[in-house]
Amino acid sequence: MQSEKQKHIRNFSIIAHIDHGKSTLADRILEYTDTLTQREMENRVLDNMDLEKERGITIKSRAVKLDYTAKNGEQYELNLIDTPGHVDFNYEVSRSLNACDGALLVVDATQGIEAQTLANAYLAADSDLEIVPVINKIDLPSADIERVRGEIEDIIGIPAEGCPAVSAKTGLNIGDVLDKIISDIPAPEGDENAPLKCLIFDSYYDSYLGVVVYVRVMDGKLHAGEKIKLMNTGAEFDVVEVGTMEPFGLAKCDELSAGMVGYITASIKFIGDTKVGDTVTHAENPTAEPCEGFKNVLPMVFSGIYPADGARYGDLRDALEKLQLNDAALVFEPETSIALGFGFRCGFLGLLHMEIIEERLEREFNLDLITTAPSVIYEITKRGGEKIRIDNPSNFPTVDEIETAYEPMVKANIITPTEFVGGLMELCQDRRGVFIDMKYIDTERVELHYDLPLNEIIYDFFDALKSRSRGYASLDYELSEYAPSKLVKLDFMLNGEIVDALSFIVHEEKAYARARRIAEKLKENIPRQLFEIPIQAAIGSRIIARETVKALRKDVLAKCYGGDITRKKKLLEKQKEGKKKMRQLGSVQVSPEAFMAVLRLDDEN
Amino acid sequence: MKEKKTLGLYLHIPFCAKKCDYCDFYSFTPSDRKAVESYVSAMMLQMEDISDACRSHVVDTVYFGGGTPSMLPISQFSRLMDSVRRNFRIAKDAEITSEANPGTVDLKYLKALRKLGINRLSLGMQSLDDGELKTLGRIHSAEQFTATYEAARRAGFDNISVDIMYGLPGQTLSSFVDTLRGVTMIDPDHISLYCLKIEENTPFFAMRDTLSLPDDDAEYDMYMKAVDFLSSRGYERYEMSNFARDGKYSRHNMKYWNCDEYIGIGASAHSYFGGERYSVIRNAESYINGLEILQLQIPIIEGSRIIEKNESMNEYVMLRMRLDAGVDMNEFKARYGVDFYSKFGHLLEEYVEGGFVKRIGDSYAFTSRGMFVSNYILSAVLDFSPEEMSAP
Repeated sequence: MQSEKQKHIRNFSIIAHIDHGKSTLADRILEYTDTLTQREMENRVLDNMDLEKERGITIKSRAVKLDYTAKNGEQYELNLIDTPGHVDFNYEVSRSLNACDGALLVVDATQGIEAQTLANAYLAADSDLEIVPVINKIDLPSADIERVRGEIEDIIGIPAEGCPAVSAKTGLNIGDVLDKIISDIPAPEGDENAPLKCLIFDSYYDSYLGVVVYVRVMDGKLHAGEKIKLMNTGAEFDVVEVGTMEPFGLAKCDELSAGMVGYITASIKFIGDTKVGDTVTHAENPTAEPCEGFKNVLPMVFSGIYPADGARYGDLRDALEKLQLNDAALVFEPETSIALGFGFRCGFLGLLHMEIIEERLEREFNLDLITTAPSVIYEITKRGGEKIRIDNPSNFPTVDEIETAYEPMVKANIITPTEFVGGLMELCQDRRGVFIDMKYIDTERVELHYDLPLNEIIYDFFDALKSRSRGYASLDYELSEYAPSKLVKLDFMLNGEIVDALSFIVHEEKAYARARRIAEKLKENIPRQLFEIPIQAAIGSRIIARETVKALRKDVLAKCYGGDITRKKKLLEKQKEGKKKMRQLGSVQVSPEAFMAVLRLDDEN
Repeated sequence: MKEKKTLGLYLHIPFCAKKCDYCDFYSFTPSDRKAVESYVSAMMLQMEDISDACRSHVVDTVYFGGGTPSMLPISQFSRLMDSVRRNFRIAKDAEITSEANPGTVDLKYLKALRKLGINRLSLGMQSLDDGELKTLGRIHSAEQFTATYEAARRAGFDNISVDIMYGLPGQTLSSFVDTLRGVTMIDPDHISLYCLKIEENTPFFAMRDTLSLPDDDAEYDMYMKAVDFLSSRGYERYEMSNFARDGKYSRHNMKYWNCDEYIGIGASAHSYFGGERYSVIRNAESYINGLEILQLQIPIIEGSRIIEKNESMNEYVMLRMRLDAGVDMNEFKARYGVDFYSKFGHLLEEYVEGGFVKRIGDSYAFTSRGMFVSNYILSAVLDFSPEEMSAP
């Protein structure tokens, strides 16, 4: 039985393919419910990291409570839970969705269904959510509402007759969306008198409050002063405060009860204690059953991060610690490279997560970084049966020690206009993909399924996909299993000395092309020095590619005229400054920029 | 008797008939005779202003540079020379050089210069290839150059320097060798060999991608060829870009490379005097107004900087290493009271091994190969920034 209070709550999220207008719709809903006046309205209130605004994606989950008076005159409490829109954060998305009872599925009226539309719709269905389709961008001349309606019904299989068709940009028909939220999304259920059971769907660190935990109360009631227990970690805390998330901050309240979305503070120091997906219950009289689906999130992609200026190692450590306060998925440990000095081996959920962390380190902490090529975790069975996991090329065993090497695979789902199918199949083939099947969505679009090695995706797969489909193809993937693979470690030598920071693990078939290309890039990026510099790529002791940087022959300003020596002095001083920034790789000097240019393979095709 | 200190005097004449497309020196085409006269008057005022400070010095080199000093009418040249003699003590054997542009002077003019006391002439030949000259935007042909050179000899100049350039658009090793052969055939006393550098704010800079310039390796080959060729014809490479026969070095330019004192007169001219480096503003109009209309209080000096000891030592090495003789450790010690080896010499050792620097007796000097990468080496060895103060 639902209580009167529950009947007036709606918990929902908005899901969409990237750029289909999720955040703009959220803004419009906030505006429409008078939660924000026009004047207060800053673009995209929910996305409050600068980076999110720039990239137009949501990185962390957010939630906000809206007060809405419906057409029938009744007051409703709407909890909008925003979700990250990227495959790296699929687990976080699924937990956020579990906190909801329904989801608005936004589809661009000009683009139709894309890979992430499908992936998100499936996730929502897995969480038993009521899905309310919303067709957006109907103000655009190329909008085709009827076609998109058809796609939603045929491909996703949910009724779309009478679904709202809106322009989040202009605000057209936003009222229809609110009506649908009230009429179609079920009110939350849950027994207020049962033992407490709350699902954690997000948390962040605040320097005054400690960790602020965002929860959906499934059963029971919670008040300040009560002792809670986090069921997965077993940690217990005394609740300091409970409340709700208002658009401009937290608002304390007396009680959180079944069906509500709110926050808890309890002087929690470490965000790692409040894992997304964990269950909060009372220490005494705990619930018998925790929320389903809890997982420990593990990093998938690893990379070495070094300060360009070695003296800033301490600053880098402090910065990583600060970021970790709010990002339990980020892991790091000290690492030493002969070439790059002291740095950290960092683990990320995926490439986007890695890029975000790197950008935040550079922007928010003003650090210049050198990062090594991203790596996945490989599993090696050594001769003699020992099994090891490798996330750092420098730990890769020699060829003789390896019995079998395994690499992680993903199941990839690509949606593309038919005209690009050939090119994309070629791309997947080239990336060692195994074709599973191909389905026609309609006469114009195709869904391709491939098994692909994760290490082929983490470099530049997404960019290649976009460039081969003029931006039209979309990608979604999920991890599957480890598969045996012929892996080798590729090393690079400058002047006969191995540069450890350049080593990486690669499939044998790919080693030659990669080696040649990186050797060429090294040649382009290493400035000529007084001696000739041989560049060699090697697998073990076998040299598989070689280039040479010719010796510098001219570096002179021949003119020193009329007694004006200031220019020459300035030039030498500038040159000296440049030299100070150089990294000594063996006997060879390389600038951090050149080093990064070598590792950046995104112009490869 | 106390020996008087010597001083070089540089006079900048910023006028040109037409600016060359690669040139970034301060020069322009004067509007009329009046403009030239007021500029000369201002130079005379500047010399008067400074003469007191130079009472204890003997001027043993005078150098008229530009621009094109030979754009000055003889009457104006004569006013300047009078002023030079009136305001400074000129050594009897002073070297008095003027640059001159082929095509702007005739025998009569050259004779008049000689009569004014100019005893050394520096002529801009640049190339003997008319195509290359045209690309450079020079106003003379190879033939005109030869005519001017011969006129200068007839006028009585027994010390003539010729400028040539390499690294020119379209230039090849063989066209450069033709120029080298041609220049040695007319037998000048001194040759300056400059590499074309594309400077910002020149027409060449804007066109640089279309110029088909020789690359660094080709320039290296040209330079090495020049050093070989000229030495086989009796020209000693006494400085990175300067060659002389019979020891006829440019005494004025040697002052720059020896860190000796000189005073610059005229817009954009540089001075090193009394431990201070400074320059005159790079604008003829303000220069004239600043000197003539005192109440305007236009400062004509800029970039004034007292050179402290560490900076001075670094400058000394930077400049002396341009000389084939390099740095003599004893001279360095006498001048600064500092041991050269422990300050710079030990840093040069690694380049000795590679054949970029040679040590002969008590001197360190660049080899030819080293000279051509001297910026690379000097930027590693020198450090102009003030030395850290030791804690009190």
